Amino acid sequence: MRMVNFRTPYNTGRLVIVLAVVLLIGFLLLPTQLQGVLQRAGSPVGWVVSWPLRAVAGVSDGIADLWAGYVALRTVEAENRALRKELEYLKGQNSQLREAAAATDRLAALLDFKQQSGGTMVAAQVIGRDTGNWYRTIILNKGEADGLRPDMGVMTPAGVVGRIVKTTSATSVVLLVTDPNNAIAGLVQRTRDEGIVEGTSNGSARLKYIPMLSDARPGDRVVTSGLVGGFPKGLAIGTITAIHKEDEGLFLSAELIPEVDGEHVEEVLVIQSLAVPSEGERLGAPKAKSKS
Amino acid sequence: MKVLVWSALIALMVPLQSVLLPYVKIAGVAPDIALVAACLAGLLGGELHGLLVGVTLGWVMSLFSAIDPVVAMGVKGAVGYAAGFAGRHVVYLSWPMLTVGIFFLSCLAGLATISWLALNGQQDLWRALRTVVLPEGILDALVGGALYRLLWSRFNVERWMAEYRT
Repeated sequence: MRMVNFRTPYNTGRLVIVLAVVLLIGFLLLPTQLQGVLQRAGSPVGWVVSWPLRAVAGVSDGIADLWAGYVALRTVEAENRALRKELEYLKGQNSQLREAAAATDRLAALLDFKQQSGGTMVAAQVIGRDTGNWYRTIILNKGEADGLRPDMGVMTPAGVVGRIVKTTSATSVVLLVTDPNNAIAGLVQRTRDEGIVEGTSNGSARLKYIPMLSDARPGDRVVTSGLVGGFPKGLAIGTITAIHKEDEGLFLSAELIPEVDGEHVEEVLVIQSLAVPSEGERLGAPKAKSKS
Repeated sequence: MKVLVWSALIALMVPLQSVLLPYVKIAGVAPDIALVAACLAGLLGGELHGLLVGVTLGWVMSLFSAIDPVVAMGVKGAVGYAAGFAGRHVVYLSWPMLTVGIFFLSCLAGLATISWLALNGQQDLWRALRTVVLPEGILDALVGGALYRLLWSRFNVERWMAEYRT
């Protein structure tokens, strides 16, 4: 029987060249298609990997709850340990119940918001963060199998979280509003001046391209304008903390504190479809009767 | 068997990187365990192993990140290949030397990534170099060096490498 020697330079060199050529050709000639192929091929892999990911995320949450509810209280004196054992047990239970109650409150708020809004939304849990240091993203426990697709908006009842950039069959990657690569159409709620909300490198956000004559000032709220897909009009994005004149001198830009801290969010809603009123509905015109 | 072991390790590295390592971020930067794994795979198994493990890890990790999969595969694959090439030409590798090697490879990988991202206007090169590349290089080197030293002290790595390579 012939043994394969993986360290033979000939095989290695040939494989390296073939891989490099395939990747280079694909990368230069068909970058979008190659990305699509890799993403589609990765969908089942993502499903498989999502199981250990969920398991570890569950254990991690459990340990975090335990730490918050029990381990942090283990500073009691040794002589009091016996007397306080029952109390600690009850405190641990109480903490778990509080955590459950808080989760129930959050989920009830999500459900309430979901019922009030006209669009279709899917609730999802955050199970992880970006696997690299280059982007600010969160990983959701729902994916293509649940109807999620790239470019869908993600929010909480408090406001915008970000938008989906990648999906596998069981998970989704959400680019946070605080990532410099994200861009969401926004407007200043009071003055109605429109602009583009981008993340900044220090973890906050800014509204760019505000008209020079705008009356926007610190304290004004910025909401989604609904002009570009993914988000309905009027969702809170953040509050202005400072206004600057941009280097080019044609526009103003405003620094924002995001309404939602994406780094610590636990449950979110994904906007699958918007309940966007038609032009006629917006103008108050009666609906046309169908010819039948 | 090797394929199964590596598949299981790769599947476990995703939750380790995305769930547990964010808790140990220093200045907003976490070590890149996939890069360390590609380095060690190259070192222990040679260029081909380093390349394959690097490319696979880059691809799988990119499924759970916003990064371009081709960039992640290319960078991690190159790191694994370079580590394998270096490992084949070094007679004895001490853990401090390996730590320095991983630091340089991590910095090179970071430079390649920010060069690509800067070309697309997605990153400020100098800021990224200061805030991501160098801290990540140090963390990767520390994690890789510690892991290698642990392996060296607990197992007969030389014999293991000889068996693994045949």
